[in-house]
Amino acid sequence: MNGRGDLSFHAYIRGIILFGFALLILGLIITDNIKYYIAPKMMPFIYFSIAVFFLLGIIQIFRSTKKGELDEEDDCDCGLDHQVSGPTWIKVVVYSIFILPLLMGFITPDQALNSQIAANRGIIFGSGNAQPVATIDDELSSTPRTDQFLNDPEGYLASLTEDEFDDDIEHFQIEDFYDEDWFNEYYDELLIELLEEPVIEVTDENYLDVMTLLDLHLEKFVGKELEITGFVFREPDFEDNRLVVARFSMTCCTADAGVYGTLVETEEASLFDNDMWIRVRGTIHETEYHGYKLPVVQLREVTVVSEPDSPYVYPSFR
Amino acid sequence: MNLKESASSLVKDLLGVALLLVFLLLFFNYDRITTSSFIDIPTSIVNVNTIFISIIIEAFPFILLGVFVSALIQIYVSEDTIQKYLPKSALGALFPAAVLGAIFPICECAIVPVVRRLIKKGMPLHVGVVFLVGAPILNPVVFASTFYAFRNNPTVLYSRMGLAFILAILIGAIIYFIFRKNTDQLKWSRDELVGKQVTQVITPQKKRNRVKQTMYHAADEFFMMGKYLIAGAFIAALFQTYLDRSILQALGTNEYSATFVMMVFAYVLSLCSEADAFVAASFANNFTTSSIIAFLVYGPMVDLKNTVMMLALFKTKFVLVFITTVTVVVFSSVLLLEFFIL
Repeated sequence: MNGRGDLSFHAYIRGIILFGFALLILGLIITDNIKYYIAPKMMPFIYFSIAVFFLLGIIQIFRSTKKGELDEEDDCDCGLDHQVSGPTWIKVVVYSIFILPLLMGFITPDQALNSQIAANRGIIFGSGNAQPVATIDDELSSTPRTDQFLNDPEGYLASLTEDEFDDDIEHFQIEDFYDEDWFNEYYDELLIELLEEPVIEVTDENYLDVMTLLDLHLEKFVGKELEITGFVFREPDFEDNRLVVARFSMTCCTADAGVYGTLVETEEASLFDNDMWIRVRGTIHETEYHGYKLPVVQLREVTVVSEPDSPYVYPSFR
Repeated sequence: MNLKESASSLVKDLLGVALLLVFLLLFFNYDRITTSSFIDIPTSIVNVNTIFISIIIEAFPFILLGVFVSALIQIYVSEDTIQKYLPKSALGALFPAAVLGAIFPICECAIVPVVRRLIKKGMPLHVGVVFLVGAPILNPVVFASTFYAFRNNPTVLYSRMGLAFILAILIGAIIYFIFRKNTDQLKWSRDELVGKQVTQVITPQKKRNRVKQTMYHAADEFFMMGKYLIAGAFIAALFQTYLDRSILQALGTNEYSATFVMMVFAYVLSLCSEADAFVAASFANNFTTSSIIAFLVYGPMVDLKNTVMMLALFKTKFVLVFITTVTVVVFSSVLLLEFFIL
């Protein structure tokens, strides 16, 4: 065995693989396709890894040269850890493990997660805080609330804080998550803001917040108009006139992405295939699905749109 | 140099150049390849690819941080130094070992060879075990990533760190009592038994090259750990694409089965402790907080890729006893946490 030459060959091939990873990530960034893989807030880490891959790649190439060999730490105290041991086929397998994802990354088309993933992950209606139907006892009072608000906005808003206590019992989960005052304050303010709008426009930025409010205070939104963009998705048990307009929410990478959607009811539902991007506008009603109270949009207007620049939405962590 | 040898080195050089050319070619035609439809790949395969590439790109910066810090320790901190400060009493060493594990910013892939080296240099087996289970969780990078992933639920972060610290000591103590009489649980290669490795001496003039050596170590460690990461990410991507999570949810309806399911999941997915918090966050809606904590505590201590590494380095019986101990301890402590604290 020519152990020396072997070691330098490993350094050389590893250097090239490191360059490959740097090029792949750089390619994703240049084409802006990185948005399908990584949330914007993680990007500083990604730039760091490109720099390190290039640096290590250069060092590995130098290491494989004759001059580099002289410096090689023959007697480094780490023993035999750094060599690839075993017969040739094992070495081929080991390097294939690194080269295959590179080729896959370069060749496979970059696209956003779609309804197939949504089906397996299970859609989260609204924000995942929908209220079970049976436990809501103030349903009777829910419809006149908008009138109440219109007649006496200040008195009504004062009563909102009282409502919070009732809701706390149902939503211990989310209240646990955000048991700080700022959470309630922020959402109360947003709620008031939204209820004053003639049409509630759901944007990339406020998507998850509006979903949360729709779940927590559905009765206050009934009758209001909502405009929302997303891809079409259906659960297997849906009736023909129903579909979901959904978005993936990504915290860091696609492994943690969850699907958040709003039910839409229209006679034309069959015209829209899964994964089509549409913008819908309609009135919010209340419906029941699998024992949960959910908002449903009765369709007024629908436009087929192209996939938005940012197909995912991101939690804002205010 | 004879003809055969030079021919083989020429082939190797060409192989590398060809590989580099392929990468460059793909890079400069990136837009054309990924947007054209001349390669018709089924949607589900594209989805596997999307999640797979996403996980590895996400994990790379954390892995690189890990290998750099580990390489620095490798070069600048000698095992003798660490050993010198460990108390002589067997059980008294457990607590300082857990604290030291918290200072060691090494993730689960890097810790296996480090612990092996420490044990070879004379560190007691049970102290090594404390490192093995504690260090991957108790480190700043994992703290940061768990903080980011569960920014809206700090209970997860504190429970994860607290449990890891206490359980590392507990597991170390249990291993001490089981293997008290038979502490030699490493597999020794023939070379090492002959004494090939022991003859190594660090000569003073080598110190000049420490920066370079750190780089070499970092690169080598990246490749040593990277293969387990990539293989693990691929299996995880398959699960992510094809596993219907409603099945999991059906299994995870009560505290016992939810905790158990999440532990099995942590084992199979074999995620790096530096990135697993992000995956756990995706389950936060469907699973109880305590089962999420079980996922985050159990995964870094024992998982599929780690078992593969351990079986290569430790005796089989030891690996089995170790896994059983960790499983029982984590499961029961998470249930205790669920009933008494959360």
